[in-house]
Formats: sequence, C-alpha cells, structure tokens
Amino acid sequence: MKLTRPLRFIALLLVVIGVSSILTVTVTTKSYSESYPVVVCPPTLEGLGSQISFSSKKTPFQRLQTRTTETEQVKLLRLPVKKDSLVVTSEGVTPVVWQSRSDSWAGAALCSSSAASQWFVGGTADVTTRGKLIIVNSGLSDAVVDVESYTENGKQPLRTINITSKNYLVIPIDSLAPGDKTVTVHVTPRSGRINAFMIDEQGKGLKALGGDLVNPAAQPNKNLVIPAIPNQMSRNTPAAPHTLRVLAPGELDASITVEVLSADGIFVPVGLDSRLLKAGIVSEIKLDPKISSPVMAVRISASEPVVAAVKSTVVVGRSRDFVWSTSAPQLIPLTMAIAGLDPVISFVGQTINVSIDVTLTNGKSERQTVTGTDFATWAVPTNARSFTVIKPGEATFAGALVSSINGYGFFPIAAGSLLTKIEVPDSNIRVLNP
Amino acid sequence: MPMASQAVVDKYRVTAVLVSHNGALWLPEVVAALNSQTRPLDLITAVDTGSEDASTKLLKSARIPFFSADRETGFGQAVSLAVGKLPKSVEHEWLWLIHDDCAPAPTALAELLSSIDNRPQVVMVGPKLLGWHDRTHLLEAGISIAGNGARWTGLEPFEYDQGQHDGVKDVLSVSTAGALIRRDVFEELGGFDHNLALFRDDVDFGWRARTAGHSVIAATSAVAFHAQASATERRQVDVEGAFLHRPLLLDRRNAAYVLLANSSWWMLPWIALQLFGSAIARALGYLLAKLPGYASDEILAFTSLVISPRMILEARKVRKKQKFVSARVVATYIPPRWSQLRLGVERLVELLRARVFPEKTSPTQSILDSVEDEDLLTPVNTNTWLSIFKRPEVLGFLTLAIITVVNSRNRFGALVGGALPNSPSGATDLWRFYLESWHEIGMGSASATPSWVAVVAIASLAVLGNVKFLITLFFLIAPLLMMWSSFNVLKRLTSNKWISIPASFLYALSPVTIAAVGSGQIATMVVLILAPFVALLLHDWWSIEIYSWRKIFAVSLVLSLIYAFSLMSFLIALVAAITITAGNYREFAVTLDKALFDERIFKRAALVFIPFLMNAPFSLEALVNPSRFFAEPGLLIPGGGSFSALLGNPGGADSVPLWLVSPVLLILVISLFSSTHARSIAEYGFGALCLAVFLGSLSISTHGNEGVAKVWTGPVLSIATLAAVAAGTVMLDRLRETLVLSHVHYRHFLSAILLFVTASYALLAVGFSVSAGADSAVQANRATVMPAFLSVESQTKILVLREIGSSNDKKIQYYISRGKDISLGEPDIAPDENIQIATAARALIDGTGITSSKTLSDYGIKYVFAKNPFKKEIIRSIDGLGGFTRTSATSLGVVWRVSQPTGRLIFVDTEGQRSVLETGEFGTSTYAPSAGTLILTESSNRSWQALQSGYRLERSINELGLPTFTVTEAGEISLIHDGTTRRGWLSLQTIFLAIVIVMALPAGRRKREISEKELA
Repeated sequence: MKLTRPLRFIALLLVVIGVSSILTVTVTTKSYSESYPVVVCPPTLEGLGSQISFSSKKTPFQRLQTRTTETEQVKLLRLPVKKDSLVVTSEGVTPVVWQSRSDSWAGAALCSSSAASQWFVGGTADVTTRGKLIIVNSGLSDAVVDVESYTENGKQPLRTINITSKNYLVIPIDSLAPGDKTVTVHVTPRSGRINAFMIDEQGKGLKALGGDLVNPAAQPNKNLVIPAIPNQMSRNTPAAPHTLRVLAPGELDASITVEVLSADGIFVPVGLDSRLLKAGIVSEIKLDPKISSPVMAVRISASEPVVAAVKSTVVVGRSRDFVWSTSAPQLIPLTMAIAGLDPVISFVGQTINVSIDVTLTNGKSERQTVTGTDFATWAVPTNARSFTVIKPGEATFAGALVSSINGYGFFPIAAGSLLTKIEVPDSNIRVLNP
Repeated sequence: MPMASQAVVDKYRVTAVLVSHNGALWLPEVVAALNSQTRPLDLITAVDTGSEDASTKLLKSARIPFFSADRETGFGQAVSLAVGKLPKSVEHEWLWLIHDDCAPAPTALAELLSSIDNRPQVVMVGPKLLGWHDRTHLLEAGISIAGNGARWTGLEPFEYDQGQHDGVKDVLSVSTAGALIRRDVFEELGGFDHNLALFRDDVDFGWRARTAGHSVIAATSAVAFHAQASATERRQVDVEGAFLHRPLLLDRRNAAYVLLANSSWWMLPWIALQLFGSAIARALGYLLAKLPGYASDEILAFTSLVISPRMILEARKVRKKQKFVSARVVATYIPPRWSQLRLGVERLVELLRARVFPEKTSPTQSILDSVEDEDLLTPVNTNTWLSIFKRPEVLGFLTLAIITVVNSRNRFGALVGGALPNSPSGATDLWRFYLESWHEIGMGSASATPSWVAVVAIASLAVLGNVKFLITLFFLIAPLLMMWSSFNVLKRLTSNKWISIPASFLYALSPVTIAAVGSGQIATMVVLILAPFVALLLHDWWSIEIYSWRKIFAVSLVLSLIYAFSLMSFLIALVAAITITAGNYREFAVTLDKALFDERIFKRAALVFIPFLMNAPFSLEALVNPSRFFAEPGLLIPGGGSFSALLGNPGGADSVPLWLVSPVLLILVISLFSSTHARSIAEYGFGALCLAVFLGSLSISTHGNEGVAKVWTGPVLSIATLAAVAAGTVMLDRLRETLVLSHVHYRHFLSAILLFVTASYALLAVGFSVSAGADSAVQANRATVMPAFLSVESQTKILVLREIGSSNDKKIQYYISRGKDISLGEPDIAPDENIQIATAARALIDGTGITSSKTLSDYGIKYVFAKNPFKKEIIRSIDGLGGFTRTSATSLGVVWRVSQPTGRLIFVDTEGQRSVLETGEFGTSTYAPSAGTLILTESSNRSWQALQSGYRLERSINELGLPTFTVTEAGEISLIHDGTTRRGWLSLQTIFLAIVIVMALPAGRRKREISEKELA
C-alpha cells in the first residue's frame, strides 16, 4: 500500500492545525468601563455645623440642587458646609463628614455613593427624640423610596416616599413609629439614585441628651463586627453603660452570641451566649463590660442575619453625648479623607496586619503597619489629611472614633464608593429572542 | 390511365389520385400496393408538387400518368388540379386519395367499396390507418378535432391494434390518406379548402360534408399503412403559407382555422378562448421541454389567424352557402372536454408510472429450467408481523424515532431559542417579509431577504401555511430524514443492511446533528439532509464530464437550495472546485486534452456559480459583507473553534461535550490507509475536516451581533461526517471476511479500536441526546422578551437592555426593538450598529449618559426597556440620569419613557419648533403643518421618498444619518419606500430559477429527432 498520499493528507491536516492556531485570536467577549461613582454627603440641617474632609483641595463637587453639570473645587481640605448636600467626585477617596451641634453632640458619617439598601440601627421615636432621617435623591429623575421601620413592637407599616430629582427629604424619626423607643430603619430605593442619612438627637425639655450620626449597614449578616466602641472612664468610676441594639429582620428568630473584644482580652458577657432574638422585634441589651480599655469592639455571631449597633454614652466637658457604633464591612484597600479629625482607629481580626499609608497635610506620606491579635488600635497622626489602607490583612474590620469639644463620633472604615466595573454593552439582536 | 385489368363486378368507378412530394422513400411500396389491389383501380392519376428526389422517376417507371405542379402547391390544391384534368364525372364515381407515404393493403379498396354498399348517404370513407414501420400500431380509424384544436383520434398513444376498434363507424372525418370520396360531392363542395394547404384539410372536408347533409364513415376492414412523413417531419413542408417550413405552426394554424370557420357563431368566443388558452399552455409545456421553436409555433399559429380575421369571415361565407343542416350535427363527433381531460390525465399517470416503476425486464425462464422437485424442498415462507421488527431498517428507524421523540420532549410547540428566532404564524408573513424592500428591524434595513425565507414559505404550504408547525415538525423529523438520506447513499456502498443502517443511524446522531438540532441551526440540518443526495447525484466530482448539462443544472437546483440556507456551502464548493481543478490541470499537462479540461472547468464553474446567482441578491450582498459566508440563518451562535472541529464536533453551547469523542477523525484517518474505495471517500472527508479546522479558527461579527463569535462549522463538518460514515461503511463491508481469512495483524487491532470507539460514541450520544440534549436552547412555548403592553403602540422603537448568557457568564447587550420579538429571517438582514445609539446605550449603562435621552429621542426611540433579571445598580443609574421617566417596573422588567417627545416622523418648522407627526406603516400619509423639515427616524436609504402634490420633496441626510425632506408648504405628504429595485431583483431571480428548472428538466425532442422505430 502506498503511504505517500495518506501521509500527505495527514501532513496537510497538521499544517492547517498550525495555521489555525496562529490565526486563532483570543476572543474577548467582554469589555469594561471602570469608574468611581460620585459620593453624596448629607445636608446640614438647621442649627448644625458641618465640615467635610477631603484629601485634595482640587476635589470637584456640586451642590445637590444645582441643575447644571458644572462642578467647582473644594479649595479646602476641610470644607464647612452650611446647608446643601454635596455631590462629590472624589475618585475613590471617601470623604468623612463631621456634624455637630454646639455644646451638645457631634457625629461622623461617610459620604457615599447611592445604595440599594441601607439599614440604620439607631434612633428613637419617643418623646425625647429630635432625630431625623434624611433621604437624598442625587439623580436627575424623580425617585421612589420604600422606608421600612422596626421597633420593639415589630415591623411598622411600609412608607413609600417620592422625592423629586436633585433634592432631599427630611423625615422625623418619630413619624415612622410614634411612641416607640427602639427604632431600626431600612431604606430601599425602588427607583432613583438614593442616599440616606440618619441623625439621632435626643433631648428632654431644654436639656440636650446628645446626638450622633448613625452610619448605615448595607445588609443584615450572620457575623457582625462593631469595631470601635468608646469605653469612656472617669477616674475611679466605672465606664458608662453601653446598649446593644439588634434586630433579626428575617422571618425566623435568631440566636446570637456576643463577644466583647478589647485590649483586655475577649469574653462573652454573661447572658449573651446563644441569646434568643425574636424575628422582626428590635431588642436592646445592656452591655456593661468590666474592662479598662478606652476602646472596645463587639463581635456578633447569629443563626440568622441580623443588624446591630452599640450606643455608648460619653461625657464631653459638662455635657453628655452618645455614640452609635455600627457594624463595619470587612476591610479592603481604600482611602479616607480625615483632614482635621484625628481619629483613633481600632481593628478587629484574628491576626491583624494592616499596612497604611498616611498622607500628611504638608503632602508627605508615611507608611505604618498595625499588627496585633484580635484587637488593636492606632491613632492617626494629628496632621494627617488622608490615609490609605494598602494591605487590609485577612478578615479584618475597622472603625474610627473621633472626639471633639462638642462630642464623640464614630465612622466605619469603609469605602464610600467602590470602583465600579461597568461592562460595556454590545449591540446584539439576540436580546430580542427568548 | 385506366388500370382495370381484371373484371370489375361492382357498380363503382374508382379514380386514384396520388399526390407526391419528395416521397421517393415510400413511393415504390405505395405503387406496388396500388397495383396489388384485389379490386383494381379504374383510373389513376398522379400530381407531383416539385419533388427534388426520385419521385417523378419512380412515377414514370411505374407508368403512372402524372403532371407536375408548383413546389408550394398544397395537398388539396393538387387534388383539385388532378380532378380538373379527369374526364367528366360519371355516376358512382369515387376518388381514392393516396398519399405518397401511404400504402393501402391489397384488399383496402375492395373493403372500402364494400362498406359503402347500401349506404348511399356516405360520401367519404376511410380505411384504418396503421403505422408504416410497426404495422400493429393503430394510427387512426376516423378523426375529429377537439375544442382546443387538437387532432382527435380517440386512441391511446401507441395503441396496439387488436381489432378493438374494428367495424364501420360514423365519424366526423377520415384522413385523406386512403380516403375514398364521392367525386360529385367533392366537386360540389369545391374540394378541399385551399387555405388548408396541408393538415386538417381532411377534418374540414368531413365537417363540411356533414353539414351539407352527407355522411362520413371509417371502414376498418380496409387497412392502409401510413408513414405520416409530413406530420413527423420526415420531409420538409414546402406548401404555401408554411412559414419557415414549420409543420407544427401550419397544423395549429389550420386547426384553429377549421374550428373558427366551421363552428356556430355563438360558439366562436368560447372556441377562441379555448384556442388561446391551450396555445399558451402548450407553449409553456414546450418551453419546459426546451423546445422554444414549438412554443413559438403555438403562439404564432393563433396570432396569425387573429390578425387576419377576413380569411375566416370569407371561409364562413362559403360554408354558409354549402350548409344544409346545422353545424351542430357535428357535435356528437367532437370529443367532450372530460374525455380530453381523462386522456391527458391517463397520459400523465402513465408517464409518472413509467418513471417511478420502470418496467423490469426479467429474463424469461424456460419451462425446461423448472426444477419442481427443488420447489418441493423449499420451506414454506411464513411472514409474521414479528419478523418485520427483525429487519434492520425497521429496527434502526424505529429506534431513532423513539430517541428523537424523547429528545424532543421539550420541543412540542412553537419553537424558539438558540439561533432560531420566533416563527411567524402564517406563510403570508414570510412572503411579505421576503418581498418587502424595507424591513423594520433595529433602525431599519434595506438588505435583501435571504432566499431560504421563500423556501420555508413554500414548504409551509404543505402544512397549510402554518410556519410554527412546519418548524416544529422539521425539528422532529429532521434526524429521521438525515438517516433516510444517508441510507440512500450507504445502501449503494454495501448490500449488508446491518452495516448501512447502523451507519446511517450514527450519521443521524453525529455530533454535528445533535448540536445543530439543539442550537437551532437550520442550515446545518438542511445540509445534513441534502448532502447525501448531492453525493448521490454527483458521486464523481473528478470526472465531471460524464454528467450531462441537464444533470449539472439539476444538481445546481439542489445546491441552490443548500446555498439558500448556507452560503458557507458556496465556499465549500468553491474550495472543492479549485482543488479538483488543480488536479485536473496536472492531468491536462500530461494529456493536453484541452476540450476535456475546458468542459470540466465549465461544468464545475456552473455547479459552483449558478446556485450562487440563483440566490442573488442576498448572495451578491455577501460579497460586500463577507461575514455572511460564514454565518447560518438566524442568530449568530458561536462555534467551538478549531479543536472541536478537528473532532468532528462543531462545538458551542448545545453540542455534545468534547470528552464524548466522535469517531469521525479516527475513521477518516484509518480509511486513508485503506486499500478500498473508502480511501478516496476519506480524502474528500479529510479535505472537509481541514477546511472545518481552518474555519473554526476564524471569528466573525454579523447578523445583528456586533460582538465577535467563532465561526460555526456545521455545514463543513456535515460533509466530513458523511464521508466518515460512508468510508466506514465501505471498510466494514468486507472486513469480516478479510479478518477471518488473515492472521492477526494491525488491521485486527485497528478494527477493534474503531468499533469500540464507534460503539462507545453511539451509546453515549444516545444517552446525551435523551438527557441533557433535551434541555437545549431550542425549546417550545417560551415567554416572549417584549411585554405585550409595549407592542400596543405601533411604530414604536424601544431600546432593549438585557443580560445574556449563562448564570456565571452574563453580558449586557442591547438592541432596538419594534415592539415585538424578532422573527425568522430578521437577524440575517439586521442592520449594522449605529455609532451614536451605541454610544448613548453605553453611556446609559455606565451612568455617564446625560445626553443619552436626547440621542435616543433624535432617533425616534421612545422607550428604554431593561429586561429582568437585570443589574439593579444600572437600573438605579438610569433612574438618576435624567431624561427618562420610569413608566413601569414589573416582573418582566423596567420601562422608561424618553422624556422628549419623539416618533417615527419628526417635523421641524422654520422656527425650529419640533413636533411628532402621526404615521403608520412604511408607506404612509401624513400632514405637514407648515414649511419645514421632515425627519424620518429610519436608517437612510435612497429609496425613501416623500411626495407632496405629486412632486418629490428634496431629500437629504442629516448629521445623524437620518433621511430628511424639505417641505416647502403645508399639506398632505406621502412617504414611500420605493421597492422597484427589490422587485427587479425578484423578477431576475424568478426568471433565473425558471431557466434553471427548464434546463434541468428532461428535454423534449423535435419530431424529426425521434427515430422511426420509436415513432412506430
């Protein structure tokens, strides 16, 4: 049998395979456009003072109610805001807003991009409250928002609110659940670009009982870490009491275990191991840990997703204030603008090893590394304008505490806007075929 | 010249009149026949009409007195001349008219005279005419004329004379060949009509004799043998009026003349209509039979009479004078229409029967061969029903049918998915889509609709135009059709059905079949069904010269059907033609046979390019949009690339997994080393496989998909698979004997490996087909993409956003909808992406689209629809963009209305005020309120026209690429898309198709081309 011809055919096939492999180009079926969404800072309500920290004086911003697309630069690293909510093109840097009422309270919050869901664990609707829920529509179209409240009496009727474009709405918290004491609010936009903020301010008659900006959590979770809780101690007196407010918003009751972490160690307070929570009922649990550390943290493990925050009472000067320490998401590489705040940041994690670049007001930067086991604190240099978490370590959570003459504030170390990788769409008639 | 040499016992005097015209071939026998009559002739005279052969010499030598007449003298005129020269008529004198190609039997005259005894009313009697060559072939026993002018004998074609028509019968007329006519009546009626120089003069005379109160009979005891030399074109017709010497033209003209001259007045319109209709029908028939000369004869014959009605009027005057009784006396002799119809149907059925069941000539067995004892030993053959299921073909087809039904369990209903779009409900929708010049897809398309749409529309007639049902049925029976068609090829390669049936079963369950059915690739399915037939018709591609041109055209028709669905087939044919021609060239370099080389090139070129041209203009458009050569009908579904193609698997979403290795490559490789015919088959398959591997490496972007996708290699792999199956069949055919007779060597091992791989594949493929294969993309009764409420507003453009792909690989894509899902054929002509709309859509998604709303409104896009499930962040982003108002959010998705008013027709007045005008279908009327500019939010195309008061408005294209019209005053405006070009292309396509069909049909032969033997 002549083999020449068959072998020629096989050689031809091999050549074709070779040519084909050269011709074959990797077909990229997806292309992306990457950007940081703009962040929205809360408006300054009447009687309050507000300053927003920026990492650059050239950060462009726009006042919420401005209809044009033009922006202006902040020109200051700490911009005082009289009234408006600001829409800031911060390009990945999270500005921190500091609001206070003179000699009464202070609080911190993050300027953040629009969110699909925000849980505010804080506030009260009883006679002492002066709290407000602020809902900002930064979009160019009208928005529809669902506001769902939970209290110690359970789930309250849903309120659906329309907000015109480029505007915000202030809702008194007591209107959400009149008379109820423990409030948790869930804000879900049905349509529109929405950010919500909560101010919990209390007073009894003319006497101010303090206040704070309540930072939101995105979703209920089975494992929560509230990384920074002030544990203020006066000389020879025990620390002021703390209150853990927790809600299991699902259909099932939850069993929770609460651990307290501090420089003194980790322990589960009595009665907080496998404690049962009724679904849909906001519960408050007294926390009175006997620790000497000025900062502590709480880690909650639950059988069902929960949201939680710790309210701590603090004394600043002669007046009393309170702080809502809320849960923080796991630490990721991020940059936060903290000009003029001097926060103390506490980290929670099994092994803490966080590398941070600090940029000082003079433009210089320095790298610091925070290490520890379970719990560690780090005081940001006083002249820092921003810090960047370079290496977040493994499963680490962080929160910041800020004190001022007006009061104490907390904010979670979290990104106000994440790099959004938007897929560039293709034109394809296939979308019209089932 | 007196001929009577014997005593005449009867009272008659018979004068024979012989007319000759180039009849030397038959004349000797005719003269002999006349001389041998048992009843001698009393007188004979002959007329020669300008013969150029030996006719006159023969007459002279026979001592028949004759005189010559002009060459153009007709038969009737010649007879009249002869009669004029005869002595004065006597009582009982009869004229016996003899053609020079008609030889009467010896007793013919005696029998004729005997038949008129005691029948005084008879003035014309004719013999039974039999064939000249086959003297059992009954030609005539009396004649008539049908309403459509056909010569009517009442006999079947080539009827064998067994005496079945014998007897003396009253007839309308008899042929002049051998007719005996009473001389006094002949003279009284003026002889034959001189306008009928040849043909039909006999019928006319008989008709006239009848209306003059006489009788005509056919006496079958008298026999004559007639060569019908003029009618069968054995000699040239030279008579006056025989334009271009065309006997058919003369015959048809004379037939019409006879009918129009003799029929009653009130019958004339109906007869004229019948003549015209039948002339057209016959002309078409002749055209189909590639006899354009005959076709023109039919038309010319009728028109030549119609344009000179004076001749008819004069003829009718003459007949009116001669008429003694009503013309209706002949009615009984005119064949009724139903008998004409019956005869026509019988002929057609006989023709089909002869084609379908050709007569098998079995060798005649001699009685001596009978072995009765052996017959006794043969066991009685008892057929039971159970034995049917032991037959391989029954088992194979039944098994495949069961597998197909199980595999199709999710495909009972209107199919959609994968590459297959929704089917329209009726064939009329498909026809409209095929014929339209403008298609409302995306921003609009003027591309030519592919021919396969027309093919599907035609096929749907079989299911009463229900296209959905047709598609479902096609998907259900396609594997069975594939098995059947491949079996037709394979049974020619082996007589062992236990090989050919499993092989064809494997073909129907090959990876390419499973993938094509699963992903809705109808072109590949059509190729899989038709490729075996092409292989059957054209099994020797190398020596193409052995095929007639008719066969080349017939194969071209099949190929054009394949091209209609898959232009990739054109590429395959082109590559094959080039490759083989290169081989032929090497042969030519040795033999230097240029004629052979040229013939091969022409025939191959015809096969490659005729089907391509038949699919114009869609195929021609592919030349400027080459991606179409690589795409299947429907949505662009990516193939699996070169590696999967190498394994005979087109790949893609619904193909069999690659680990399920098909034996295609293995069989082809082993067959290459075979010493049988399998080797040459495998070479074709190997070539196809190489092409598939190469094509699999390419990526294209077409059919409304701006993304790139790997080429689907299904059509090429169909050929490789068919070749593998065929090569495997040839190898296995005699493998068992070879292996048994030889020592164990590599063949045994190779065979074992091959059988193991094939059996494993078969089992696993069946398993895949009935399990995961049933959950393929093509499914029945899926919910539509577009919500019904968006279809309510007509002429609305909607930007649809949707995430496409599997759950872990989703991609956002968009397209412009016209309120409904896409239908069959629409993806094939989808327009290219519009850059501005693409930018607006992308900005909409990434949240930067502040101007998206304006762009969309400029293009007439009224709504944005995000089909659920869709990314919530993007929905919020669109909410926040401005320019869009959310109008609904349901489980189907979110709908935004573009804030700025927009529509299909936007009018901008001279002050820049913008308004939306009412509009309907693409040919529409509207009212322009003032002078200004009319913007049509459709893609620009030169065929768009706006008319106002009968004038075309000036057309231009604005900066967005949209057609605009300058309106000079207020008033009604008609907007049309001029489809002249499309109609022109369709006409060309129809003409081209008709030509190819005619060329592919069996050719008719002119009568002169038919041999004497066949005529007999």
